[in-house]
Amino acid sequence: MSSVVRLLLGVVAVACMSGCASSRYEWNDYDTRLYQYYKAPTERENFAEALREAILEGEPSGRVAPGIYAEYGYLMYEMGNSQAAIMYYQKEADRWPESRFFMNKMIIVARNRIKKEPAKPTPAEISPPAANTSETVNPASNGTKESVK
Amino acid sequence: MKRMLPALLLLCAAILSGCAHKELSKQERFLAASPRSILIVPVVNNSVDITASDYMLSTITIPLAERGYYVFPVHMVKRVLEDDGLADSSLVHSAPASRLCALFGADAVMYITIERWDARYMVFNTSVTLVLRYEIRDGKTDEVIWKNREYMVYNSDGGGGGGLAGLVAKAVTAAVTRAAPNYMPMARQASANSVKSYPGRGIPPGPYAIDKK
Repeated sequence: MSSVVRLLLGVVAVACMSGCASSRYEWNDYDTRLYQYYKAPTERENFAEALREAILEGEPSGRVAPGIYAEYGYLMYEMGNSQAAIMYYQKEADRWPESRFFMNKMIIVARNRIKKEPAKPTPAEISPPAANTSETVNPASNGTKESVK
Repeated sequence: MKRMLPALLLLCAAILSGCAHKELSKQERFLAASPRSILIVPVVNNSVDITASDYMLSTITIPLAERGYYVFPVHMVKRVLEDDGLADSSLVHSAPASRLCALFGADAVMYITIERWDARYMVFNTSVTLVLRYEIRDGKTDEVIWKNREYMVYNSDGGGGGGLAGLVAKAVTAAVTRAAPNYMPMARQASANSVKSYPGRGIPPGPYAIDKK
């Protein structure tokens, strides 16, 4: 019995070693960080940070792992940042054609949520109309001056 | 006897046609389906340890993606299923693979079931027994295209094993303590083994393993 176990462990050891030798992607302890998040749901921000680091480390060399952009985007969505969610879903879709169908669905979900909450527009959305109105006001004010003359 | 002749002929025909349809092996079925993307659905846990499924769900992505497949984001998938009223993993496991694949645009689904996850803490020895069942079903045909069963026993006394095996066993079991058990190294090994270790039982390399050199 013990010899069988030893043989098993030997195979395990070799498998582990060969597994550690080469990694296709930058994981940044994805497994451990995800487990820690499951163990303590208050760790969401730490999990998000781990994913962000994995993206930063992997992006320059094209070694961002499958699903990482999407996981990060989904956390952004859960935290209320739909714009960031869409951006990362799009990155996942561009990098991995296999994810396109699912990502496109999730982009629609995030867009719908943006549409539903027009109550608090972002500063970026406020400024362009303000600039437009000031432009249209100026000729009008000139016009009134001319008419006065 | 003459009356029986047609019946015998029929029987022969049945046997012959049976031979013509050569049963495909699991490996052949997998290669015929040749999935590019795999959807891992939440783990069914039949063990007494409630944290076991979290360990297995968080450790399966890395070995499977490194094997060359697009692996759907497990956490996001779990949440989306929950939002769709599929929070119960055994309910998800009973759903046809084709339906799940249609939902996510996946080629195949991997189902993981934990059958045993027992840790015994004794005075001089800690032993942990894991029994895990894996299945991949094709999203087009619902057929099982790969399956595996992992049986593992870890003993803190190393089972008298020296050399490399002894070292790994110690590294794994050192983390398995009664006060604050950390099964992460063990779960990681179990997931890696299920995907690739044993010849003829692992998952064949995926498209991203073949594309890149």
